[in-house]
Amino acid sequence: MAGEPPEELPDSALERLFYDADRVRLVDWRRVSGAKPAVLATGVATVLAFVAGLSNLSQPSVPLDGPLAAVVPAAGTYAQFAGVLCAFALGPITLGLNRGKALAWYAALAVLPAVGVLPLVTLQPTDVPLLATVGLALPLLVWNRERFDESLDLSSLQIAALAAVLGVVVYGSVGSYGLQSEFTNLSSWSDAVYYVIVTIGTVGYGDITPLSARAKWFSLSVILFGTGAFTIAVSSLVAPAIESRMAAAFGNMSASELTLLEDHVLVLGYNDLTEPLLEELGDGTDVAVITDDGDAASHLEAEGVNVLTADPTDDAALHDANVGTARGVVVALTDDSEAVLAVVTARKANPDIRIVTAASDRQQADKLRHVGADEVISPTRIGGRLLGRTVLGASALFDGDDQDDDAT
Amino acid sequence: MSTGTGGAERTLRQLLAPTCALSGAVVAAGFFFPSFVGSTVDGRGWLVISLLFFGSGLGYLAVLPGGTEEESNAAAYLLRVRRATLREAVGEFLARHDPVILGVPVATFTLFFALQFVAPSATVGAVNAVRDVLLRDTGPLFLGAMLLAVCYCAVLLVGPWGEIRLGGPDAEPAYTYPTYFTLVFTAGIAAGIVFWGPAEALFHYGTPPPYFGATHESAGAVGPALTYALFHWGVSAWSAYAVIGVPIAYFVFQRGAPLRVSTILAPFLGVDGLDSPAARLVDTLAVFATIGGIATSVALVGQQFLTGVGFTWGVETGSSGPLLFVGGLTLIYVLSATTGVNRGIRRIAGLNVALFGLFGLLLLAVGPRSFVAAQGTAALGSYLGNFVPMSLFLGDEWVASWTVWNWSWWFSWAPFAGLFLAALSRGMKIRTVVFTGVVATAAATMGWFLLMGGTSLFVQRRGAVDVLGRMAASEGAEAVAGFPVLAALPLGELLVFAFLALIVVFITSSADTSTLVVAVLSSERGLAPTPGSIAFWGGFQGVVAVSVLLLGGGETLQAMAVLTGGPFAVLSVVALAGLTLTFRREEGGHTSPVVRLWNKLPTIHGHHDVDPSKED
Repeated sequence: MAGEPPEELPDSALERLFYDADRVRLVDWRRVSGAKPAVLATGVATVLAFVAGLSNLSQPSVPLDGPLAAVVPAAGTYAQFAGVLCAFALGPITLGLNRGKALAWYAALAVLPAVGVLPLVTLQPTDVPLLATVGLALPLLVWNRERFDESLDLSSLQIAALAAVLGVVVYGSVGSYGLQSEFTNLSSWSDAVYYVIVTIGTVGYGDITPLSARAKWFSLSVILFGTGAFTIAVSSLVAPAIESRMAAAFGNMSASELTLLEDHVLVLGYNDLTEPLLEELGDGTDVAVITDDGDAASHLEAEGVNVLTADPTDDAALHDANVGTARGVVVALTDDSEAVLAVVTARKANPDIRIVTAASDRQQADKLRHVGADEVISPTRIGGRLLGRTVLGASALFDGDDQDDDAT
Repeated sequence: MSTGTGGAERTLRQLLAPTCALSGAVVAAGFFFPSFVGSTVDGRGWLVISLLFFGSGLGYLAVLPGGTEEESNAAAYLLRVRRATLREAVGEFLARHDPVILGVPVATFTLFFALQFVAPSATVGAVNAVRDVLLRDTGPLFLGAMLLAVCYCAVLLVGPWGEIRLGGPDAEPAYTYPTYFTLVFTAGIAAGIVFWGPAEALFHYGTPPPYFGATHESAGAVGPALTYALFHWGVSAWSAYAVIGVPIAYFVFQRGAPLRVSTILAPFLGVDGLDSPAARLVDTLAVFATIGGIATSVALVGQQFLTGVGFTWGVETGSSGPLLFVGGLTLIYVLSATTGVNRGIRRIAGLNVALFGLFGLLLLAVGPRSFVAAQGTAALGSYLGNFVPMSLFLGDEWVASWTVWNWSWWFSWAPFAGLFLAALSRGMKIRTVVFTGVVATAAATMGWFLLMGGTSLFVQRRGAVDVLGRMAASEGAEAVAGFPVLAALPLGELLVFAFLALIVVFITSSADTSTLVVAVLSSERGLAPTPGSIAFWGGFQGVVAVSVLLLGGGETLQAMAVLTGGPFAVLSVVALAGLTLTFRREEGGHTSPVVRLWNKLPTIHGHHDVDPSKED
């Protein structure tokens, strides 16, 4: 080690300096054009929209120098508030994109161009980074379209509650607009919507009040139905999220966190081999573990490993863990018959993927290979051979021929 | 990777990442909320924070982990350094270097600074006298060598020899084309492109070139000004790099010669005769020219950057400003060079090209498009039509101080840029090398000069800002041109900020490459430079730059470095003669694509049943 031999081959020295084993790329396109960068770009656009919007709000008036200033109706009002409002819309969209929701994808495609209009209206230096990010995020989202294919999966209660809120707002707005002569200070559609929202939200400023008995009964109905629907909607939407957080704490991970994984290693099952396996794979590789063992799952989750609490031989679980885009599958199940089932499931889900499995019983190795495992390792046999070799004094760590023997 | 460079890099990452994030957050806060935050920090504070942001960002980019293989190599190097005592380390450092190539440039620079310290005016006077005589009397030499270089590149581009694949017919390119272009482009051109982009056309507008003889500052002077800006930074300039680079690449990859500048003498000395004093002299001169060229560029860029900033915003940085700027810059490019071509150098070059492209697009979006398009196409046509007469026009003082000086400058950078071009070219066809090194790079440079030059002429002619007047009012001349031009456009603040970033990135991406090349040149034949050696040469360039700032004489030292362009202009002619002889002797079996196309034509028309592609 001390002092490299000066008689090193002339070429190899410069070889190392200038010529990599692989052809040197300027940018690894696969890494910057995937679904994750698309979500990241949308997230950055959200933050920039918020900051640029705040910046516009902090000025007394926003100059409108952009080419679209004349085209956009009410550009002045729009420019001052648009940034922050768009950021609030983009926030949940980014969250939905991160979970691979198709609806979030459509919403992003609708909202992002609207966000891009802002810099073109104002043409302020502070808005240009936002335009650049939007210009980056949109093509990335379109390019990765098929990665955002999860349905929203609302429960029937959630759908009903949302529909009820919407219904009450429409009912209240139309009704109060129709009865405007029987209200104080109510003379336009925006007054009507304002009145309904203020009423449903239990704020009740009192600037618009019903005068006639009919209008009072109408207002009471809006209060009763509206606050009821509003409360149910909030609880039905928020409660499941809290529940899933609690479940995660107890080791029941849902699939939604895993949908954007790609080029990862999928580990089916949790046994004594899993921990050293994760150590070996290290931080450089994304790993997802599927196990039905709740304790193991919460333990792994605490260590920052992606876990899906499900049956590792279940088709749907493998699909949730993106077996289609995974780099390889490791089957680490103690029971060989389960391992056979897991190999079959994985092979069926992705015919091209590399599957490695451990066999407790050497006799089962052939069967495992027959059903689609590319490599079968027998840990007990390796262990036994190493012990034997070590007791005779050889330093026996990984001579290399172990693997060949055990594979047969 | 738990020891050595890995550990040091991890520490650096842990240091640089928060610095970059924090300074970036402050810059962003000032950018988005100028009315709240802007006034809490003064101009000098903003300058320091912005530079800290650029610098730590570039440094972090360089030390981000790359392939595992390189890291283990780097770790092995540092393991050795850690075990050795200082004396052993110095001993080994000396053993790995060629004593002549290491010693002579170091001694020359020391001597220069000693003279500069003892008798500044005499030294400056002597060098300037030599410069004036040389530029006046060697004009024909430079013009001839440059025209020959352009013609030779044209021959390689369309002739049969362009077919030769460097490293054998089956060699695989070591770099993808975008990487190759990016590295070649950013290595060969430094921050000069940023300063001169707006300034060069304005200078020629103020003092029109005698070749066209227009009235100064008239509408008729616009076209000639842009034409000459294209001429000085266009195809000719890049051809100077290619005619040094292609011979090196050919003899290295086809004949097994060592990767150094003296390899261009291989046809006369033989591959085994490259240890002779003549060859060493060439390499020594190359090291001197590169260090002189880059170090003075770093120093002048530092000065001009701060002059421009000071002149525009009245930010006074005092005498310590340039020193700190150069010191910080040195740290970054040394970091980038030691992490190697594949990490620091490639990433900073990529960032450079991305920033360059984005800036160009933004300028195109907010700039005077129709003026630039109309004047640009006219200037391009005039450039093509007058290329040969301009290349041969000897004129008077004007040509000596502009064209000949520029040609000498490009030739003095040719050894370093040419060697780097050669090193990256393994597996490429000579035609690809020439196309990238001359056509593509010149197209990028010329596009920039048309865009920047056209925009500044537009601003000047509209009378929005008297840029020429400002340039005359300041000592820094070309450095102050860009700021008022950009500030006069929509989104001016953003453009000026990006302009500052471009200056820093361009000088970094040239300086890190030159550091690597000098380290390769000065190492003993067949040895790769160690990180220690790269750090030494990078530090040495920094020391030279700082000495220039402390002792003065930047222009003088630059003149000395640029004057080494003379020998390299002569050497390029020698190299081309040798290359032609070798090609004629060894490379008979290639057909030019023009001939192949010509052969195909009657075949297609005459015999429809014969597959024409089988013919060759």
